[in-house]
Amino acid sequence: MSNKNELITADDETSDSDFISRLKRPFIDFNNADRSGRVDILGRLGLFIPAVASTLIIVLVLAFLWVESATIFGDPSGGIGIIINPTWDPNRDMYGIAVFIVGSLMCTGLAIGIAVPLGIGGAIFLSEFCPMRLRQPIKMIVEMMAAIPSIVYGLWAFLVLVPVVKNNIAPIFGSDSNGLSLLAGGIILAIMLLPTVVTISNDALQTVPRSLREASLALGATQSETSRKIVLSAALPGVGAAVVLSLGRAVGETMAVLMVTGNSLQIPYSLFDPTYVMTSIITNQLGYAFVFPLWRSALFAVGLILLIMSICFTLTAKLFIKWGMKTRGYI
Amino acid sequence: MSTLEILLQKIDPRPGFREARKSRRHFTDYVFKILLGIVMVVIISPFFLVLIEVASAGFSQVFGFGQGQGIEFFTTFPGAGLLGGIRNAFVGTIELIAIASAVGIPLSVFGAVYINEYTRPGISREVIEFTSDVLAGIPSIVFGAFGFAFLVDFLHLGMGLVSGSLTLAFMMIPTVLRTTQEALRQVPMSLREASLALGATKWSTTWNVTLRAAFPGVITGVLLAIGRVMGETAPLIFTAGNSLSVPTELTGPGSWVASMPYTIWAYVSDPRAYLQDKAHGTALALMMMVLAIDLVANLISRKVTRRLV
Repeated sequence: MSNKNELITADDETSDSDFISRLKRPFIDFNNADRSGRVDILGRLGLFIPAVASTLIIVLVLAFLWVESATIFGDPSGGIGIIINPTWDPNRDMYGIAVFIVGSLMCTGLAIGIAVPLGIGGAIFLSEFCPMRLRQPIKMIVEMMAAIPSIVYGLWAFLVLVPVVKNNIAPIFGSDSNGLSLLAGGIILAIMLLPTVVTISNDALQTVPRSLREASLALGATQSETSRKIVLSAALPGVGAAVVLSLGRAVGETMAVLMVTGNSLQIPYSLFDPTYVMTSIITNQLGYAFVFPLWRSALFAVGLILLIMSICFTLTAKLFIKWGMKTRGYI
Repeated sequence: MSTLEILLQKIDPRPGFREARKSRRHFTDYVFKILLGIVMVVIISPFFLVLIEVASAGFSQVFGFGQGQGIEFFTTFPGAGLLGGIRNAFVGTIELIAIASAVGIPLSVFGAVYINEYTRPGISREVIEFTSDVLAGIPSIVFGAFGFAFLVDFLHLGMGLVSGSLTLAFMMIPTVLRTTQEALRQVPMSLREASLALGATKWSTTWNVTLRAAFPGVITGVLLAIGRVMGETAPLIFTAGNSLSVPTELTGPGSWVASMPYTIWAYVSDPRAYLQDKAHGTALALMMMVLAIDLVANLISRKVTRRLV
């Protein structure tokens, strides 16, 4: 009985204690604790700091990009209008970044156009039709493709893909391109995206319950009809998330694209025109620009736009997964 | 029946053909499956194309016996005309990764432990998970620009070993954090409860029971993160500088450091033809290191899943 009373009073103390005593309590607890109890409290504190630090980095990144790019957004020659201004000429203090945004979007669009149909097809093959014995090796190869550094893809694209585009593909369409083109950038980007699309889509397809497949097959549908109309549509949120995440990777890819797109300040009108993407302009010019406030700030503005885009893509992918949880209950 | 006959029977297309001729729908089904098989081949073929191209040009550099080849490729400095090996880049990459791991891994592993073990599921945990997902999706060049603005410029660390490796550490954090969280989530609640019921404190439960059970998963995440940042070029361009020897100081121009990805880029952009072979050799060495790390991570994670299932 007395025990119970003590418990209740202790509860009361914590519930309606004022601010000061709540502040004091950890110290009192620490004083009253034995050695292992003290280690417990200190360990908790020691873990709390890394948790905050690793979360704070995103705040730091946002803050620094914002502060650095505030100069160009506040300048009369710049302002928010640089996003739609196509003239980039640091010599005349003109910092329109529309060329790069359009270049990035076109390159990404091309890559997504190649990678998504192929990747979803590959994921369906891997999860529905692949012989058991081949599944693990193929998965492993796809994971290794994701692990290859982008500079190695860039090296390969620069030395193999660009000459192929120049000598074999461009003449078919009557173009005298030197190979450094939107097409080469799109293809190498698509190759780099494929592992992401295949892996995430495959995971999504495999979470689809077996019973759905069996029901469809029992109704007389063929295997391909089942995989296209039942499994794929059941896994649609996960596949959508895969596509959006790979979009984010595509926009942010740097080295491989830098090496093969030709980096010329123009909006490409054909697949064989060179182009300039957002990541390339930062890589190429930040080294020279850091002593010129406006120029440098314009480059950081490009970085800020990239960051905002990637945040949007992450958010969209999350929404896709939430949609899947809501409508399907799995994923 | 011999093994060969069994194998031939397995890949015999005739039953498929017979099935396919039954109706139009079955024919579509058959074509669809073959098409998907071709798509899969198309997807994985770039891996072999890249591997063969890089290996055929870089093999003599990494495994040859000439001057500046084989083991000398890793143990001599570039020297005049960059004719020597890539010791500067090899040592530089290892130093960068070592410091980045020493900073990034404890930060993210302990952070993940706190988030998973000490906070309740709710809005704050969701916010933390979302921020690390965002962090994982940030383009590497944006990290490079951030490292330049924050470490090099704002903190006056200057380009070099410290700035470069801290930038890489920032890039490691989201990967390690999320995989550690995933590994901790796989540890059964009963283990923790048993430890707590025996009178252990939260700290010793976390340290001796939970983290130990999740250890293989944590190692997998760490290895994946190391493999990922090892091949990053863009964050290092503005933070690490470049050098033809190994860093001798912690700050200032003496701390500028070369890395293997950066060396590949510099050598490919160079008009001298023999440097392309050096670039291929570096690329082959880098690829072998990254793929080996990836394979080990894969093996560990597969072993773990088998044990848990």
